[in-house]
Amino acid sequence: EHDGNSFLVVSVKKMFTYIWQYLYTAFFRFWLKWFIRQVTGKCELQRICQGYNPGATRTMKTEYSLKSSKSQILRNAVNVEEDEVEICVTRIIKEKNIHEQKDPKFKINLQVCLLQISGYQRLCVAVEDLRKQAFDSAVNEHENMLLKFFILFVNNITQSQFINKQWGDIGFQGDDPKTDFRGMGMLGLTNLIFFSENHTEVARQVLSHSNHPKLGYSYAIVGINLTEMAYSLLNSGALKPHFYNVVPGNPQLEHFHRVYCYLVYEFDKFWLKEEPESIMEFNHYREKFHEEVKRLLLEPDVALCLTLETKQ
Amino acid sequence: MGLLSILRKLKSAPDQEVRILLLGLDNAGKTTLLKQLASEDISHITPTQGFNIKSVQSQGFKLNVWDIGGQRKIRPYWRNYFENTDVLIYVIDSADRKRFEETGQELAELLDEEKLSGVPVLIFANKQDLLTAAPASEIAEGLNLHTIRDRVWQIQSCSALTGEGVQDGMNWVCKNVNAKKK
Repeated sequence: EHDGNSFLVVSVKKMFTYIWQYLYTAFFRFWLKWFIRQVTGKCELQRICQGYNPGATRTMKTEYSLKSSKSQILRNAVNVEEDEVEICVTRIIKEKNIHEQKDPKFKINLQVCLLQISGYQRLCVAVEDLRKQAFDSAVNEHENMLLKFFILFVNNITQSQFINKQWGDIGFQGDDPKTDFRGMGMLGLTNLIFFSENHTEVARQVLSHSNHPKLGYSYAIVGINLTEMAYSLLNSGALKPHFYNVVPGNPQLEHFHRVYCYLVYEFDKFWLKEEPESIMEFNHYREKFHEEVKRLLLEPDVALCLTLETKQ
Repeated sequence: MGLLSILRKLKSAPDQEVRILLLGLDNAGKTTLLKQLASEDISHITPTQGFNIKSVQSQGFKLNVWDIGGQRKIRPYWRNYFENTDVLIYVIDSADRKRFEETGQELAELLDEEKLSGVPVLIFANKQDLLTAAPASEIAEGLNLHTIRDRVWQIQSCSALTGEGVQDGMNWVCKNVNAKKK
């Protein structure tokens, strides 16, 4: 009976929270904003840009404010094209009756926010395009990229080695690496190469960990799996705070690759630290790591940047 | 049906739990099949390191499906999952003719395992959506399935991608859950 009571209390509390949230977003928020505007002479967007430093909090609040606006011009602003950001900001200034002279920094601040907000969507599209491109060994460019990846790890490679492909050594499943790219397509290969090229020493070190007799794992496959993690974090919007903090403008594919590098490096550290029983435990630890990353992404000053530990 | 009998049915015994083992070479389509069974998105699947497990309700059964990675390096771990298996589902990439021999060998070894003796086996001739896929009959012949006498077995052509044939296979599984030969 006691359980029943506390259940009832929780339900009633929840109900009031819902009602309050509804009333707030539907009515109070509008009047509250109107009232503050009368008192301060500044609209919500101005207050956000003045009240917060550049970064995730400012841009996230701006995004929320634009999306919940009653004005179509403001709501559409989150999907603006890159070359129309300036015009869009001018329109918003006009729509909201903002005196530019009184708040000279507003225009440039809002421009940066809009570039970040709409740029995130563009990044999602670019990443999706790359993912949809299947790896095709008949395409020279693809085959060359794969060769490049191989060479980065195997010194003095000969043509016959490439044909006899010791793919297992760098963590592919079998004799034909192309099937391993599967749902991640060229995004997976591009990620693998970016990490190996830009952090060659670290990548070699990670590969050597992956060949550990007890704590080993399949480097390439785990890498492709982490591409999937980065991809789903991007699409769920979870990476927004990171990009808003790290890229003061339009994010590019390269910035996505950098998140991937962070994940590979950190996952390797995490895996070694946790000392799993065997590779069969992979999904359990992957989920644990995933939760850890998602928790980090809730912090307002998050930045998933690969920083090497310097040896003392 | 009266209201009472409906209520009684709702309160009836919980679903029988069934342990299903999903095996096959890497890239056979095991995880896609698993996700198809659970009605999940199959558009961005990656190679399985370790295993996945999902529970699916079907025809009064709770199917606990264990999808174990098929990469050669982790095949030695397969045996850790044999215990108490009710049905074995073996998945074959019907378009990967180069590896028919390898997949046949793996299957033969599984059928020789003591812990899997008498366990009903369903073979999915997967990827029938591909033009180059071999028909189920050809695969059955190549693998000498007709020589299997110590258990019930079935070969079912399917496409885990489109879902075609998957339900037929699962119907067979549900019918033969209790057909384990002692």
